[in-house]
Amino acid sequence: MQEVAVIGVGMHRFGKTGDAIVGTKSVGELCRTAVDAALKDAGIGWKQIQAVAAASSRFSGGKGWGLNGNDVVEDLGSTGIPVYNMSAGCAAGGNAFNVGYSMVAGGVYDVMLVVGGEVMPKGMIQTSGVEEATDPEFLRQRCIGMPGPSFWSTLARRRMFEYGTTEEQFSQVAVKARKCSVGNPNARFQKEITVEDVMNSPYVSNPLRLFQICPISNGAAAAIICSADYARKFTSTPITVATSTVATMTFNDMLPRGLADPMTECANLHTEAQNAVTSAFEKSGIGPQDISFTELQDNTCYYELAFPEEWGLCEAGQSESLLMAGETAPTGSMPINPSGGFVSFGEATTAMGVFQIAELTWQLRGQAGGRQVPDAKVGLAQTLGLGGNATAAILKR
Amino acid sequence: MSEQRVPCVEGLFGEEDGVATLYGSRCAGCDTPYFPKSAACHNPECVESKMEDYAFGGEGKLWSYAVADFPPPPPHKFDKPFTPYAMGVVDLDCGLRLIGQMVDKAEDVVVGAKVELVIDTLYHEDDKTFTSWKFKQI
Repeated sequence: MQEVAVIGVGMHRFGKTGDAIVGTKSVGELCRTAVDAALKDAGIGWKQIQAVAAASSRFSGGKGWGLNGNDVVEDLGSTGIPVYNMSAGCAAGGNAFNVGYSMVAGGVYDVMLVVGGEVMPKGMIQTSGVEEATDPEFLRQRCIGMPGPSFWSTLARRRMFEYGTTEEQFSQVAVKARKCSVGNPNARFQKEITVEDVMNSPYVSNPLRLFQICPISNGAAAAIICSADYARKFTSTPITVATSTVATMTFNDMLPRGLADPMTECANLHTEAQNAVTSAFEKSGIGPQDISFTELQDNTCYYELAFPEEWGLCEAGQSESLLMAGETAPTGSMPINPSGGFVSFGEATTAMGVFQIAELTWQLRGQAGGRQVPDAKVGLAQTLGLGGNATAAILKR
Repeated sequence: MSEQRVPCVEGLFGEEDGVATLYGSRCAGCDTPYFPKSAACHNPECVESKMEDYAFGGEGKLWSYAVADFPPPPPHKFDKPFTPYAMGVVDLDCGLRLIGQMVDKAEDVVVGAKVELVIDTLYHEDDKTFTSWKFKQI
């Protein structure tokens, strides 16, 4: 295994179809902007890229088959390089990063592009659209009618029952997130909001309100990764990938995913995320106490409270007091989502794993402006996707 | 009842002699229950996957719930005008953590409540009453 470095990152600002940010841009146009920025940031040319690991989307581009990486290569110039299109639901960006990392670490390629981009359809994310009794998502929607936000709401309600979490505390997570987004040039929302603003937003699915749930967005992110030897040609201060991991859920998982699950004694609801993060700690020899900041998948504010506890970043039931004391802000003792997170960006599903790598890189270089985590040395990133997929990555300077 | 009462998905559940029943399966090798039916046992510690048809039902405890404040997108179907409903996550005594709509009004639902499985109306279409399994607080 050879050491892997990140030498360039780029993004297209996140927005909503038809707005002034992304307008009617195709996923190809969004990706091109992100890749151009990453190449420029790295100081290398497209022709030097030896292979592409791309997040595969079922929503946009990819010739209708999720071949998003092929679209990117054609758009940047058909050099004939290998393309790996990775499908893992919302974890696809993290999955693509892992494939790129693994190939460079294994010595297959010296330098690769990792890219993810998305143009989302309007409204709540729908299921496969196939009306078949063999599709668990179809059964869940036809027999019950339980879209994503309601799934998150059952988790939030359970946390309220177990720990006495209040709706105001969920709101405070959103307030903290949006404060981070002020001045982040790539965030879709860049204005501060108050607890009152959040509490006045309508319930999407009680107990969760509109401002406590990430919307869907269009956006793209790209990273140039290479071997540590190769990196030395371009920069004296590369960001090192301490590790990158992929995991799936385990049998004892107790999250209500389909219609029903066998009951076990497992206390963890997202075993795939815990497996990915725990594996990252083990492989890197870096522990929770070494993490300067974390970028985690906050589809809803609930996750900012639950995940740090499930991964050992803090004790069970401690997240609310850390939040209220300001410890999860960039200047606190356990900074979570200094970028502003999904709540400020919106989720451009398959771009998110690469979006996190970009934020980790900027933070570790000290280029994060007003949201900078002081003296950030080690960053943790985590994604989660349909089907029990999760990824984690640890970057360090 | 003048209208015909039919399950919203055939073969998934029924109401035999007025008793709500889910048609699932169970691994005879390790006793793991599944709903809907599973072709194979998911337990990695299970030596031999031996799936048998099994009927589930009965009572359980409400683990958590959420409220559908807005109508879900298709393929969900509902009677108009839309009325918000609660969805429960229930730990059934038979060993399944099951999700389903609540019969009880959202404001009356309580985490930790004892509930029973029932078959109830989901929506009406083509002069038929389509049903699904739901939970009712006892």
